[in-house]
Amino acid sequence: MRLLSYILSHGTVTQKELFPQLPLHHSGLPEVAPGSYCQGTECRHCQDVCPTAAITVSAGDNGTYQVSLDLGRCISCGLCLNQCPENVFVRNLSTATAVRNRQALMLSNQPPVTHVGKQPEQANIFRRSLFVRVVSTGCSACDSEVATTGNPVFDLERFGIHVVATPRAADAILVTGPLGLGMQDALRRTYEAAAEPRLVIAAGTDAISGGVHAGGYAAANGLAGLLPVDVYIPGCPPHPWSIIHGLMLAMGRI
Amino acid sequence: MKISLVPVPQAQLSDNLVDWLHVEDRRLGLISSLDGGQLVTLVLDCTDASAQCWLTPLDSDVYHSLTPSVPQAHWFERALNDLFGIRAAGHPRLKSVLQQSSCKGNLHPLRSIAQCGNPDHGHKSDNSYLHVSGEGVYEIPVGPVHAGIIEPGHFRLNCLGETIINLEIRLGFLHRGVERRLTEIPWRSARFVAEAASSDAAAACAIAHAIAVESMSDITVPERAQYLRTLALEVERVSMHINDLGGMSVDLGWSWLAANLSRLRGMTQEMAALLSGSRFLRNFICPGGVSVDPDARLGELKRMSEVVSKQLEVPINAFFDNSSVHDRTVKVGEISRSAARELGLVGVAARGSGIAYDARQHFAHGLYPALAPAMAVETAGDVLSRLKVRSAEIVGSLDLIRTALDNITSGTTSSELPNKLPGDTIGVGIVEAFRGELIHLIFTDKHGAIKRYCIKDPSFNNWTALAIAAGGNLVADFPVCNKSFSLSYSGVDL
Repeated sequence: MRLLSYILSHGTVTQKELFPQLPLHHSGLPEVAPGSYCQGTECRHCQDVCPTAAITVSAGDNGTYQVSLDLGRCISCGLCLNQCPENVFVRNLSTATAVRNRQALMLSNQPPVTHVGKQPEQANIFRRSLFVRVVSTGCSACDSEVATTGNPVFDLERFGIHVVATPRAADAILVTGPLGLGMQDALRRTYEAAAEPRLVIAAGTDAISGGVHAGGYAAANGLAGLLPVDVYIPGCPPHPWSIIHGLMLAMGRI
Repeated sequence: MKISLVPVPQAQLSDNLVDWLHVEDRRLGLISSLDGGQLVTLVLDCTDASAQCWLTPLDSDVYHSLTPSVPQAHWFERALNDLFGIRAAGHPRLKSVLQQSSCKGNLHPLRSIAQCGNPDHGHKSDNSYLHVSGEGVYEIPVGPVHAGIIEPGHFRLNCLGETIINLEIRLGFLHRGVERRLTEIPWRSARFVAEAASSDAAAACAIAHAIAVESMSDITVPERAQYLRTLALEVERVSMHINDLGGMSVDLGWSWLAANLSRLRGMTQEMAALLSGSRFLRNFICPGGVSVDPDARLGELKRMSEVVSKQLEVPINAFFDNSSVHDRTVKVGEISRSAARELGLVGVAARGSGIAYDARQHFAHGLYPALAPAMAVETAGDVLSRLKVRSAEIVGSLDLIRTALDNITSGTTSSELPNKLPGDTIGVGIVEAFRGELIHLIFTDKHGAIKRYCIKDPSFNNWTALAIAAGGNLVADFPVCNKSFSLSYSGVDL
């Protein structure tokens, strides 16, 4: 009876609104304000301060300067937000952040080249249900956020997405972590064990580029060049809503 | 904390260490090396919160193993063999801690001096398993890719019927080269890598890093920043302890409880975001203080901590009142007090086995030891004891969060940092992470660049305890044993 009244006292906790904006106190991901002015290569505070070399400043058209930010490398440390004298960088509190194309994570203050996202060929097959095998390769925070998507607040299963225990039953492999040499063989074998057609989702900055671990002797450089990636979810770690966004993108429902 | 460097000749190291550990309140912090030419042994004395760093020069790549007389040295010596190519002769089982593939073409990645003697001599990594043979004995291999959403590691269970005879644990799948990376980057950026050593304990890692840096260059941290750091560490502890209790509910098959604890854990992550902007307290703590001041959001933080406290009562009481929970956890996964001491266990695992050791009581970090909560200690050493310690710590930490929020002072949140670290110095940071004692040890060269960065995750001590606790239990109880220790894979593999 006590437990029943406890349950009733909380009502339904599941969020109805999909991909809500993050509250203002979250740091979110940085974004380059379109068309913003950059002082140029003399300044370069942002480039110098970025711990993962995600920012480059270069000469653009007509004497202007181009600032590019690679969200696939960004760990949202927020240093660039405070460093820029022209406020080129702004916070992006959206949770609908997953993309299908690696190029779409490259942000710039110059007019963007339109990237036509690769439409997954199997879009219709997975539209109503997606079985996902999660392979963690080294980031406990990302794993934890993936696990959180299954809780009553986010309730992943209402979207027809189910996390499975074996790659044999999986339509998609969701990878977290920077993928050092020690895990590469295990991941390859997991991928090969999944039946075709199969999708690969890179969840988190580490899985996309290796993040802070990139370039070391353990070759923890993320999925690039190892498996064909269908969906990229930036963030270190990404918010559970962003992970759901990536999964729904993989299903072809967004 | 200032740390003294004491030269200890190789012949005396083993005896000195045995004598040191003979005293109840003295501990072994870590054993490692700088470049492969010496052993570095960090020993801690809890009675006066001091530490010594013993430096033992080696004249050859082979030295006499410490493990036969100091069992807790065994994992450190295995790591020395893999990372530095220093071999402990007489070690009972010099099993590799890395995967053979982890550092392809870069044998002994942390060694920076030439090999001494024949490099082939005994430096091969041993990736064999211990097999149990006999009629009816069978093996269950598990991992590295697990059925659930957890980090990778390989377990091999040798069983007879439903009983586990021996559990072999093989880690190293997550080796990312963290320790070497920390010596390659500018020290100002090191905090981002240090906290990614084990991202679910980001606040603890960042505080250990910050204290180590601050102790080298005499940086004073403003009082308000100390409050904010303490809040971060305690919010992380509450969040991860609730997560572990929730994981335990999943393993016990109680989904109602798991759902509620998961919801409450989400609220604690929101508390973390109120404090730092990140649900995992990333990029918040930096040497000198903290990076942002949450200001007005602290009121909301207090309100949420009260809600979490109130809403936790019913699920936690339901958990400990339930006879099925007792059935699955009492006398399961037992670790005796003497075994816990011999293995040098830390954190919840130690306190569940009757060892009253909590770094918050002994070593200054944040507002500790002044504000350290009463220590929760249980003596039975089984899964239930560890659960009880964990739930008592949730209550203690939530109380501490409210006390800290009531008393927080105003002022600045960070102090000026020097341009470079002082040369030839040692810095140490000891923090009670939610898993237990975490140590970051930094050595600089004569120019002030970091030449060696050692990280000792709490799980470094505790993984062996799982192998011992699982023996003699049912196969079905292995997940329950495993969850009760709450071990980190990434923090150990580095």
